[in-house]
Amino acid sequence: MDWNNQYIHSVVLIVAITIAFLTIMLLVAATVLAERRVLAFIQGRLGPNRVGYGGVLQPFADFIKTMMKEDLVPDQSTRFVFLLAPMIAIITAIMAIVVYPFGPTITLPFLGTFPLRIAQFDVALLYVLGVTSVGVYGIALAGWSSNNKYSLMGGLRSSAQMISYELALGLSLIGVILLSGTLDIYQIVEQQSGWYGLQWNILYQPLGFILYLIAAIAETNRVPFDLPEAETELVAGFHTEYSSIKFLLFFNAEYINMITVSMLATTLFLGGWNGPGVAQFPLLGVVYFFAKILFFLFLYIWLRGTLPRFRFDQLMNFGWKFLLPAAILNIVLTATVLFLMDWLRR
Amino acid sequence: MTTLLFIIFAGLAIGSAIAMVSQSNPLYSAISLIGVFISLASIYVTLAAPFIAAVQVIVYAGAIMVLVIFVIMLLNVEHSAPRRRRLKFLLPMSIGMAGILLAETAFILYSVQTAENRLPGNISNVGLTHSIGEGLFTSYLLPFEVTSILLLMAIVGAMSLARRTTILSSTARVVPGAQVLAMDIVNPRAVGDMRPVETETTHEAAHLLGVDFQSDRNQED
Amino acid sequence: MGPQLSWYLALSAILFTIGAVGVIVKRNVIAMFMCIELMLNAVNLSFVAFSSYFQDVTGQLFVFIVMTVAAAEAAVGLGIIITIFRNRETLDVDDASILKL
Repeated sequence: MDWNNQYIHSVVLIVAITIAFLTIMLLVAATVLAERRVLAFIQGRLGPNRVGYGGVLQPFADFIKTMMKEDLVPDQSTRFVFLLAPMIAIITAIMAIVVYPFGPTITLPFLGTFPLRIAQFDVALLYVLGVTSVGVYGIALAGWSSNNKYSLMGGLRSSAQMISYELALGLSLIGVILLSGTLDIYQIVEQQSGWYGLQWNILYQPLGFILYLIAAIAETNRVPFDLPEAETELVAGFHTEYSSIKFLLFFNAEYINMITVSMLATTLFLGGWNGPGVAQFPLLGVVYFFAKILFFLFLYIWLRGTLPRFRFDQLMNFGWKFLLPAAILNIVLTATVLFLMDWLRR
Repeated sequence: MTTLLFIIFAGLAIGSAIAMVSQSNPLYSAISLIGVFISLASIYVTLAAPFIAAVQVIVYAGAIMVLVIFVIMLLNVEHSAPRRRRLKFLLPMSIGMAGILLAETAFILYSVQTAENRLPGNISNVGLTHSIGEGLFTSYLLPFEVTSILLLMAIVGAMSLARRTTILSSTARVVPGAQVLAMDIVNPRAVGDMRPVETETTHEAAHLLGVDFQSDRNQED
Repeated sequence: MGPQLSWYLALSAILFTIGAVGVIVKRNVIAMFMCIELMLNAVNLSFVAFSSYFQDVTGQLFVFIVMTVAAAEAAVGLGIIITIFRNRETLDVDDASILKL
C-alpha cells in the first residue's frame, strides 16, 4: 500500500474515519444501555431488559422514540443561536476522537501494513485541549438562547464549571508530557510498550492520574459534578427547552465526551493498546484498548450510582483551591525528580 | 491543493470578519469572531505552524471569547439604538479611508517582488513544539518572563476592577424597625461570615448598610 | 505552485482594514473591543506567514507573546467595560465621551 500516493491515502482515511465514527456511535449506544442496567443493579432493580435479548435494542428504541417527538423552537430573535448550540456541542465532541491510536500497526495479507490510527501530528494533546475548550460554547449558547431563567442559570453555571476544570485538566497532563517529552499521543503510547506493563505512566504519575480523573469527570458534567443539569435543581439545566433531535445531539455529545475522556486516560496513563501478547497478535491491541475504555465507562457509571452531588460553591472551591494547586505541585515534583535523575546520571 | 485550502479558509475568514462588523447584535458579532479565529487557525496549520494554531484555538477561541460572551450575557446588551444624525458622515469616510489603506498595501505588495515566495513544503520543522520551546527558553527568555509578570498584573487588575464594592443597589431602602442582619450583608468584604449584627433603630440599620434613610415625616403628608 | 507570500499579506491587510473600519463605525464598546482583537489577529497572521516563508521561528515566538498580551488586555479591558456599565448604565461609546457621569 503506497502511502505516498495522495489518492490511496485519502480513500484509506475516509474508510478509517467512517469505521471510527460507526464504532463510537455503537459504543455510545452500548454506554446508554450499560448505564441504565448497571445503575439499576447498583440500586437493587433490573433495568430495561425487554427490548431485544436482555435489553440490547433499548438504545435504538429510545432513539426512534426521541426522533418522533415534536421539534419545538422558541419563537424569538435568537433562533440561529438556538439551532447552532447543539451543533457545536456534537461537532467538537466527535472531532476529538481523530488523534487516538486504536491499536498497533497491523499487517493484512494483500493490502500491506496499516497503523491503526486516523491522524498523527505533533501537537495532538493541544488539539484535544483546544477542542474541549470550544465545546464550552455549545452549553453557554444553549443556556442563553433558550430565553428561560433556569436554562440561563444552568448554562452559565455549567460553562463556569467547565472552564474552571479545564485548567486543572491541562495542568495534570503536563506531568505526562514531561515524562514522554512529546505532545504526540501516538508516541506517548509507543513509549509505554514493553517491560510487561511496568512502563505505563500510571505507575510514574499516580497523583496526575487521580487529578486528571477528577477534572475529567467535572469536565463532562457527570456526577458528582452534575449540578447544572440535575433534575431536582434546575429542571434539566441548559437543555430544558430542547426536544427531539437537538436534545439527542446534546445527549450524545455528553456520552461521546465521556468516551473521549476515557480514551485520553487510557492512552496517556494506562498504555493505550499495550498488553500481554500484543507483539504476536496485533489485533489484541484493539481488544485491550476497548477493554480499558469500558473499564473507565464502568467507573463513571459506578460513581453515578454511589456519590451525591456537590453544591455549586463547593464545586468551584474544590476546583480552584484544591485541584489547581495540587496539579501545580504535581508538575513541580515531576520536574524535580526528572532533573535529579538526569543530574545523577552525569 | 494548498492553494484551494488557502482560498477556502481565507474566504471564510473574510466573510466572518465582514459579518462581525455588520451585525448589530453583539452576540452574533462574537460568534462571527470565533469563526474568524478558527479559520485563521486552519491557515496557520497550512503554514506549518501547528503549535501556534492549537494555541490560537485554546487562548483566543476558547478563553478570550468565552470571557467576552460571558460579559455580553451578564450585561444583557440589546441592539443598539438607531444612529444619530450627526454621525452619519462616519460610514462613507471610513470606507474611503479603508480604500486608501488598501491602496497603500497593494502598492507595497507590488513593489516588494524580491521576497522568497515559495512555501518550502510541509517538511519544515520550524513550527514544531521542539523549536518553539528551544527559542522561547534560550534566546527569548526575557520576554517570556516579562510576559508572565504581565499576566500576573492583569489578573490582579481584573480582580480589583470587577469586585463588587456594594451589594445593595442605589434604590434600596431599609424596612423600618429594629433588625438583626448577617455580617455577610453588612460588610461586602466578609463573604460567608454569618455572625449576627443587631441594630436597634432604622436609622442605625440604614447607616450600617450605607442606604439612604427616608424619615417617616416625608411620607405622611 | 502553492500560495505566494503576498497572498497571505494581502489577507492580513484586508482583515486589518475590516477591523479598523469596525472600530470607527461601531458604537457598542464590546463590539469595538472585538474589532481590536481582529486587528491583532491580522498582524499575527502576517507574522506567521513571514516565519513560514523565511524558515525562522522568531515570528512564531512573537505571535505567542502577542497572544498572551491580548489575553491580558482582554481581561483588564472587560473589567473596565463592566465598571463603566455599572456607573453609566449604557454601553454606548458616544454617551461616554466626556469624563462626567
